[in-house]
This record gives sequence, structure tokens and C-alpha cells, in this order.
Amino acid sequence: MLEAVYRRIVLVVALFSASSAAAQSDGIRFFEEKVRPVLATRCQSCHSEALQTSGLSLASRESALRGGGRGPAIAPGSPDESLLIEAIEHSGALRMPPTGALADSEIEALRTWIRDGAAWGGPPGDPEAAVALWSLRPVRRPESPDVDRPGWVRNPIDAFVLSKLESEGLEPSPQADRRTLIRRVSLDLTGLLPSPAEVRAFVNDNEPGAYGRLVERLLESPHYGERWGRHWLDIARYADTNGYSIDGDRSIWRYRDWVIKALNDNMPFDRFVIEQVAGDLLPDATDDQLIATGFHRNTMINQEGGIDFEQYRVDAVVDRVRTTGAAFLGLTLACARCHDHKFDPISQREFFQMYSFFNNVDELGGNLSEGVGRSRMMEPILEFGEPEALAKRDRLRAQIESKETALVELRRQLEAAWDERHPPGDIEDFERAREIAAIPEAERSNLHVNVLDRILYEHEPEYKEIKDRIRELQKEIPRIEWTLVMRDLPEPRDSYLHVQGDFTRRGEDIEPGTLAVLPPLPEGAPRDRLGLARWLVSEENPLTPRVTMNRVWQRYFGLGIVETENDFGSQGTLPSHPELLDWMAAEFVRRDWNLKDMHRLILNSATYRQASAYRADAAEVDPTNRLLARQNRLRLEAEIIRDAALTAAGLLTPAVGGPSVYPPQPAGAGQFTQVDRKWKADDGPNRFRRGMYTYFIRSAAHPGLVLFDAPNAQESVTRRNRSNTPLQALTLLNDEAQSEFAGALAGRVRDHAAGIEDRIDYAFEVCLARPPRRDERDRMAEFLALMTDEFATDADALQTVGEDSPAAAAWTAAARVMINLDEFVTRQ
Amino acid sequence: MNTAEQGLARRTRRQLFQDCGVGVGKLALTSLFVGDGLFAAPAAGTRGMHHAPRAKNVIYLFMAGAPSQFELFEPKPELQKLSGQALPPSMLEGKRFAFMESFANRPPKLLGTRRKFARHGQSGRWVSECLPHTAQVVDDLAFVRTVRTENFNHAPAKIFMNTGAPFFGRPSMGSWVSYGIGSEAKDLPNFVVLQSGPRGPRGGAMNWASGFLPTEHQGIPFLPGGAPILNMSSPGGFQGQRQKATVDAILDLNRMNMERIGDPEIGTRIAAYEMAHRMQTSGPELIDFSTESQATLDLYGAKPGEKSFANNCLLARRLVERGVRFVQLYHSSWDHHGGPGESLDKDLDEVCLSADQACKALITDLKQRGMLDDTLVVWGGEFGRTPMGEVRDTVGRNHHIDAFTMWFAGGGTKAGQDIGETDEIGFQATEDPVHVHDIQATILHLLGIDHTKLTFRFRGRDFRLTDVGGHVIDPLLA
Repeated sequence: MLEAVYRRIVLVVALFSASSAAAQSDGIRFFEEKVRPVLATRCQSCHSEALQTSGLSLASRESALRGGGRGPAIAPGSPDESLLIEAIEHSGALRMPPTGALADSEIEALRTWIRDGAAWGGPPGDPEAAVALWSLRPVRRPESPDVDRPGWVRNPIDAFVLSKLESEGLEPSPQADRRTLIRRVSLDLTGLLPSPAEVRAFVNDNEPGAYGRLVERLLESPHYGERWGRHWLDIARYADTNGYSIDGDRSIWRYRDWVIKALNDNMPFDRFVIEQVAGDLLPDATDDQLIATGFHRNTMINQEGGIDFEQYRVDAVVDRVRTTGAAFLGLTLACARCHDHKFDPISQREFFQMYSFFNNVDELGGNLSEGVGRSRMMEPILEFGEPEALAKRDRLRAQIESKETALVELRRQLEAAWDERHPPGDIEDFERAREIAAIPEAERSNLHVNVLDRILYEHEPEYKEIKDRIRELQKEIPRIEWTLVMRDLPEPRDSYLHVQGDFTRRGEDIEPGTLAVLPPLPEGAPRDRLGLARWLVSEENPLTPRVTMNRVWQRYFGLGIVETENDFGSQGTLPSHPELLDWMAAEFVRRDWNLKDMHRLILNSATYRQASAYRADAAEVDPTNRLLARQNRLRLEAEIIRDAALTAAGLLTPAVGGPSVYPPQPAGAGQFTQVDRKWKADDGPNRFRRGMYTYFIRSAAHPGLVLFDAPNAQESVTRRNRSNTPLQALTLLNDEAQSEFAGALAGRVRDHAAGIEDRIDYAFEVCLARPPRRDERDRMAEFLALMTDEFATDADALQTVGEDSPAAAAWTAAARVMINLDEFVTRQ
Repeated sequence: MNTAEQGLARRTRRQLFQDCGVGVGKLALTSLFVGDGLFAAPAAGTRGMHHAPRAKNVIYLFMAGAPSQFELFEPKPELQKLSGQALPPSMLEGKRFAFMESFANRPPKLLGTRRKFARHGQSGRWVSECLPHTAQVVDDLAFVRTVRTENFNHAPAKIFMNTGAPFFGRPSMGSWVSYGIGSEAKDLPNFVVLQSGPRGPRGGAMNWASGFLPTEHQGIPFLPGGAPILNMSSPGGFQGQRQKATVDAILDLNRMNMERIGDPEIGTRIAAYEMAHRMQTSGPELIDFSTESQATLDLYGAKPGEKSFANNCLLARRLVERGVRFVQLYHSSWDHHGGPGESLDKDLDEVCLSADQACKALITDLKQRGMLDDTLVVWGGEFGRTPMGEVRDTVGRNHHIDAFTMWFAGGGTKAGQDIGETDEIGFQATEDPVHVHDIQATILHLLGIDHTKLTFRFRGRDFRLTDVGGHVIDPLLA
């Protein structure tokens, strides 16, 4: 489809001549890749259409040719006669930009561009621009390249990687040893440590295909869905509370469980997307398909008093567009909310076309009054009640409604007779009520209503009686489980452009629509979320498979093939291995969006299996290891650090799914927000659930998660930081949960063997999937001896640790050391 | 060179920046290194100072809930005269307020204050009877009377004041400063958050989040009383020598692995554990007020162990003394709408009483110790309050974003002056309006940072604290 667009443009340009058409499109490509970003970031903050400093705008070819007070800025074909070049080279009186000289490479690019005729790409939204941006070109399936060492190649992935390495004169690293491999694959696929028995079995498996079988076993583990589900939940900005200042509870864990199950079932990725974006619009949508739409209900809900509901509804809709851009397209769509995108070919109009797909959700918005709005804060929801419970609830609601009608009637009677009942005097409440009663009902504010209600309740027994009865009835309403879902209004809301991104300033009317630089919606496709969802995963869309494969790659190597995994636009970095990315994207679609197949390919590649040890020779050529002459060592994610410790301790409750849980957290962690969050730690099995099930409070997330870079769920996150800080060290050293894990690990080690050396060996096996080296064993033995002495001379300390012998307490100490090691919290 | 040595050599620059989350930041001051290494987005702006700083540190007294300028700093004779009259509807056109429903049907009435004002100090600044202590140090303060913001709800407005954007996800001012110039604190975080009053600030951690900046730049909330940092105390049975021996064993085993594998990241972790252990040993000393004289404790009204603004002000001074770059104190609650607990009488008195003396003490104490020149003190809320009354249980004031008052002291600001003037009823600025981005630009400027140059590339755009606005408030500079 995109090729058709491309052909059309070429055709237009061919009015001149076929060869100039090619030159023209090369020129535009060069402009888009090398020149537009420089102009945008270094020049246009002053020389824009709006500002025109010194009369010069560099917003278009025409304006640059026209120039400013000093004359034309560019002379196409003659860089040496172009004022722009003189200014950026500081060769004359005018020196630009004032904030500091351009890089040599930037100057060179501008020179080349002017020399070649100063081609200029079209304005945003122009399909011509699609030709210029690599990520918008159609995905092709390149042939795998020839390499000098075909013996190293296990599948096409390796050919692409090796060919790059060879061109830089680098050798790949040897395969990692089996112990490293099983720990690596287990952590990558399930987030749990392999048991010593599993390690032994793998190490001793001498049949061919041992590694492949390991991969298969782990891909079938129910914990695979948890591990990869959590990656997706980052993108989905999943949390258990509503955000903003009140940050009340919500119920959406069923969506989290849907994600886990979909991944475990290896649901094809296109269906995975369609059900989340538009499951509610599928014919005869099942409950599961409705639950899936929780994806776009992970937006925040502001419960603060005095707000304009519409403002926060608009923000939620914008967040859906932003998330759609980040999750599927790798485009920074939200940049075009207030104005045309500065760098990418996306107009503000197109932003609002995307916006209008999400604008019809039947949720809290400007059409609702304060009172009604508050009562429907969470809608739309899907309820899970037994028929009897639902019937009872409806019955009670009807009763309450009739009581409320009676209450209104009574209030009106009381108001009418107010002066008789309470003659004017100096009782403040009665006077306030009199004032409010004088206001016509339709004109009363909520505050008036509330104040009057309080006064009547306090002073009129009959009123109090009905009101109390309503409260009792409300208490009888059975608790009915629910989850946030999408549901559209029967009549769509008006969608219009928000002038400068301000929803109170209505611009032109907008119909739902996709981006001009991508293939259009098919003829006859519905112009709703379902149409959008299918478009996102259509075979012609070049972005969704590229972005998805890049992110999968990133999880395995730390960085994506495109390092800026959330920006495939002109400001993003170019792919390190463009052909590999396209090969994987094409393969992904060809295999019907089968994610596990793609995991298999990567995991079985020689590239993935390399050792991760630092290589000085490779670092000389490739300091950030973009070429992958080795694997990368990666610090485990926040949740996985906990999971690893739980497995080492033998404490893990392996249950999958269910409502979120409350593991211990340091006292005081919840008090730094408006609503002091009580946190009662679970006892029993829920105390030892995986980190991903920890109840996530947006405004006061569990510190163990936040300190290790778990996202705060404010917006979609496609890559986490991996920081390395002293506060992390304090947590691993001193946190209550860590002590609990250390105690259990120590017990496990003591139970396993009697001799000191055997115990040390076992502790290393459990935590690191390998025996200790000589020096490590000696150091640990020395530490155990020292700690045994320490506890032998301090009975109080011994008692506090809760062990009956100094040797046992020393093992708790040793277990603390083990789960604090760099290697323990690292996937090697 | 063996592998480990080569790794170490490579590690130096990178390490430095990973460490500067807590410590080593001095080196960061002179470096133009961009990007945090392998896993950070490439940054386009320059870190480090862009010009000579006037302030080394900031103590930001965030008065959460929005204090009423009309009861504290802005006497308006005309407003007194017009009290009780409806605001001309023309003034409301195009304006949006919180709780708009409350006056959608009836135009709100202007409200004069019941508080008495007097001029104070040599400079003759107006301060009301609510703040008798602050009134004594007005010659050390500069008032900006025309601050303007863009959001009339608490959480977004707080986020705006802190991050320059009304929505979540951008880094806070303290994080930008930490990222830009690090700090000189060896064993404390660059950016510390303290909290007092009946409730925490709305928006919670988002107010001091590092957004897309590396996580080590996020504000670290200290807990009142006891150990200030989460997990600062060793677990039971592992105090003192036993904790030290444990950390030593961890360090040794990590070093052994480092020698074999050569990954610089292991070196960073070793440094992090060393610093964590130093924090454990220095933390108790930090919060031990017994080294303060009785006179100092009395000056602040500080009572060791109490959760109070006074204690936090004293602690802020101690943090700044130890090189912490940015200390932010949240004190609630100033949200005087007129409802229960929100009256402009008794409830305003109460919060003033809890804050006033310590504000004066902080200025006085910093000055006595010669620290005020290097320390910028900022006082203000997320917006101001309306000149119109808001009728709830009592008559209070609604949120107002067009003009409100903040004050500044020390750190290169020019004391004893007013900046900006508002109209006769204090509705909006008539002279020198100051936008929140201007405040942010100025704070960065005083620290030696050009707000247009401290940028970070994220999702294809170079972001900065002041978004696309911000001008340094020249008259505020000494």
C-alpha cells in the first residue's frame, strides 16, 4: 500500500524526468534525515514562522530563499554563497546559532544539502515525507548476508549480526557455559531462578538439543506469561489505584491476569492487540474480550473536589493516543497535540483524528454534573456477580431510590414550613438553611445542597430517620466484583481540534482517521476503535511489527536494534541492524504474529547464547556493545529481584493471578502523599507472591519497586532505567523482607548439608547456579567464622536474629551476603 | 592492563555520573559529559554550570494548599471598600476556577480581609498580623506579588510548580538540579524532601519524581522522627561491627567477580555499597539535634523527635550544611475555602502559628552562620486565593491563579523589595507579571544553570524544566 503512495509521488515528480525524480527523492530523504532535525533543534526556535528573528524564517524552502534583513539565507547549489553557511561556519561577522556552534557533522550536512540543491520535504501529513523516514517504508524480508564464518550461524539472526561484526573486524564471544545459560534463560523467560536440580539436569544432559529443550520447557511455564506480561503492563501503565491526588482504589487486576493468560496461551499478537484496543466492539464480545479492553482504562481518574471532569476526561483520551503511539507505532503522537509535530510528519489535525477514535468512551466527562459524576466515577465497568447478588443489589437500589424521593419530598415540605418551624433568630444553622431555601432549587450549587442536607439531618428527626435508613440499605448492598472496561456511547461525542491543545478552544470538526504517512484504513472499514485496532496490526503497517520486534530484542539484550525504542521518528536513532530488524518484523507477520516462535528464534541464536564477559578489544571499536560481540549483563528488574530472592529462599508462593497483595514494606513508606496509605502486610501465602502482584499505589508505590526503577504508571513506559544507587544497596541490605528471605535461605542451606564447604557450595548453587570458586569459598568461610565468633560473644544479637546457635545465626549473615551480591541481582 | 583494569579505566567517567545521584557531584560540575552510558537516552543539552552560581543550595518551603495572599501579604484598601459587592461579571469571562459550580449561578462577592496589616522593617514591607515573626525579617526577603500559574486544581498546579508541566512524567526542579550539577554531599542524597502538617502533598511522589531523568535524581523523602531514610537501620542483630563485616564480605566477593568479568557496572555497585554504609553511619548524626544549642532549638521552636515544620527547617539547615543541593519542605494545609477545618480565621491562625516562627528562624540562623548568601530560600504555594469570598460553612476564598505572592531570601537575591503590582482588588498583575516558568528559570539561574541549556532528550524532543517559556526575573537578582 505504501509502495502505491510512493509510486504515485514518483509519478508526479516524473513529470520532469525519471532521473531527476530519483535525485529529488534522495534529496528529500537526505533533508529529512540530516537537515530537518538540525534546523528544528538549532535554528527554528528563533527563525520560525511565528518569531522570524531578524526577519528570517527557516520553516520552508521559500522562506529560506526569501531570507531576512540580511538577504537570502540559502543559495541552492552554492554553499559558499549561502549566508546560512557563513553564519554557522563563523567565517563572517554573523555567527550562529548564538547558543554554541553546530557540530562539524551538522555543518557538513547543511553544506551537502545546499550543494545538492536544497531539497525540502513536504509539510507534516504529506505522504511524501513517508518516503524519507526509514521506519515508514514497507517491511521487506531481506536475504541473510554471507559471512566468513558460516559455522557460527545457528539461524538467520546470527548471519545479520555476524556480518556486521566481521565488517568491523570483531569476533563474536564464545557461548556462555551451561550454568550461565540456564540462569539467563530462566530469568529472561520466567523471572525465576533455576533450582539446583534443574541446573544439574541441564549440565548433565549430554543428548543433542539439550538447550533447545530447556527453552521449550521454559516457554511452556505458566511463569512465562507473568514475566512477559509484566513487560506489557509497563506499556499499559497498569496500576491498582486511580492516580492524581486522591488516588483511590480501582479494580483492574483481571486485566493483568488476562495479559498473563493471553501470553501463556500464545495468543497471536494481532488478536492480542485487537482485543485490548477494541474487544468490546467485536461481535458477541465475551467477558474476556471486555476485560482485555482494560488496556485503555489504565488511564488515571481524578477524584479531587472542584475539578472540571471534562478536563481530565480529555487528558485520559490524550493518554490513549500517546500510549497507542508508544505501544504500537513507536511514534511520539502527543507532540502533535498542541501544534503540528515539529520533527515528524504528523499534523495536529491527524492527532485529533486519532483522538476521536478514543473520544466516545462512556466515561466521566463534561456532560455530567458533580453529583452524578461522582457516583459514576469508575464507569464503564464489567460486573461479576451471581444472579441472586445482582438481583438483590438492584432491589436495594430501587428501595434506596424510593427513599431518596421521599427524602426530597420531605425536604421540600420542611423548606416550605421553615419559617413556622424555625422563626427567624440567631441560630446560625437555621439562618443558613433559610438563605439556601430561598434559592430556586435549580440554581443551588452542590455546596448549598450539602450544607442544607447537613442542617436538616442534625435538626429534623424525621429527615434523619430516612437518611439513616438509606445508609443501612446501602450497607446491605452485596459486594460485587468488577473491572474497568471500555464501552462507547451510543451517540459519539463531537470531536474537534483543540486550538493549541486547549480543549476549551474549539477548532474545526474532526472525524476519526489514521495517519497519512501510513497505509490508509481499508475501504469500508469501520471508523471506530475496531477499525483502528485492525489497522494497527494490518499486514501493510510497517511500524507495529518493527516496534514490537525491536522491543522483544531489547528485553533480551538491554537495548533495542533501534535504541530509541519509543521513537521511530526522525529524532530517533537509526537501527544498528536495519536488515535484521526487518527480517524479524517480516518473519513475525509471516508466522501469523506468533510471539513464542520469535522468542524461540532469538533464544536459539548464537548471538543470544554468547558469554557476557567484558571484552576490551570489542569495547575499543564499539563501546556500548551495539554490535553485540558479547551478551550484555543486565541488572534484574525491581520485581524480579524480589522473585529471585523468593526462589532462593524457597519461600515463593507460585500462584498465578488474582487480586493484588500486600507484602511488607518499610514503615512510613505510604505517608508522603495526601491520603496516608495504610499498608497491612499480608500473612500466609500472599506474603510471598511475586513482585508483580504487589498492590501498586500510583502516588505511593512500594519503595522496593520504585527504588529499582519500576515505572510509576503515570504513562506508558517502553523501557525501564537500570540505575545503580546507594539507596538500592540500603534496601537490599536492610529491608525487612530481605531479612526474612535471608533467614529462610540460611535454613534451606543448613538443612541441605552439614559441612561448611558443602553448605557454601550449596548456597552458591541456589543463588548463582554455580559452585563457588576457590577464593570465594575461602572468603565466605572466613566470614562465617568471624560471624560465629561475633554471635558467640553477643547473646542479645543472637536472640534478635532468632537462631539458637551462633553457627546458625552466622548462616543468616552469609545468606544476607549471597542475596546482596552483584551477581545475584544480575542476569549474566 | 588486565581485563579488570581496563574495565576500571573505562568506568571512570560513567561511574562518576552514576554516583552523582548521591555524592561525587563536584566532579560533575566541570564535566560536559552527556548521557549516562549504555542505557540512557542521548542527551543534547549541557550539564554542569553555565555561569558562576550565586547560590549553592536551595531550601524550598512549599506551602501546600495555597496560602491566601490577601490575609498575609497583600493589603488592598479598595477590596476592603468593595467587600460584599459582586465582582463585575466581565472579570469572570473566559476564566476558569475550581468549584466553578459554586458560583456559576450567582456571581461571587468580593471579600475584604479581617486581618490587620502594617509596614515592617527598614524597607517598609507590608505583612499582616498573621505572621509576626516573618515580619521581623522582611528586610532579608524579596516579595514577588504577581506570580501567575496555569492550573487551578491542587495536584496539577503543584506538579506544574515543581516540573513546569501540569501533567505527570516530567522531572521535578530538584531532579533537574541534581542531574545538572550534582551535589557536594558525600553521604546524603542530592535532593531531599521533608514533610509536615496534617497531610502529605497532593500528588505525592510525583512532586519529586525524576521523570525521564535517571532515577538516582529523584527526591528522597525523609521520614519524620527516627531513621530519616527508609531502610537506613541495619536489621536486628546486625548493628555495628556485624553490619560492617557483612558489607565487607559483599564488597570483597563483588571485587573478585569484577576481576574476572570486568564489567564496570560491578564497580558502580561496589561504590554504591560503600556509600550506603557511610549513610548508615552518618544518618544518626544528621538527625541528632543534641549538638544544637538550646538557643538554636528555641529559635526554631524545634522539639527533637516531633513531626513539625520547625524540626524540618532545622534539619534543612543541617542538610544544606552537609552539602545537600536541594531541600524541599512541604507544609500543609493552607487550603482555606471556608469549609470545616478550612476557615480564614481559626484554621489560618493555626497553620500560620505552625510555620511563622520557623521561617524567621531559618533566615536568622542561616544569616548568623554566614550561609544565607549561598542558600536560596523560597516560600510559596501552588497558586493563590481569590479576592472573592467563597461561601461554605464560613466565608473562605477559592483558588486563584492570576496573581499571588511568593518570597525569596538569600542565594543572590536582592532583599527588602517588592516585585510586581496587582490591580486594586488584587485580581491580576498590572506590572511585572511573573510566570511559574520565570520562577523556575530564576532558581536555576541563581544556581549557575541556564534554563534553556539544561535539557534532556526524551522521545525525540529536548525537554527542559521551563518547557518553552521562562525568563530570569532580573529585578530579583542582587
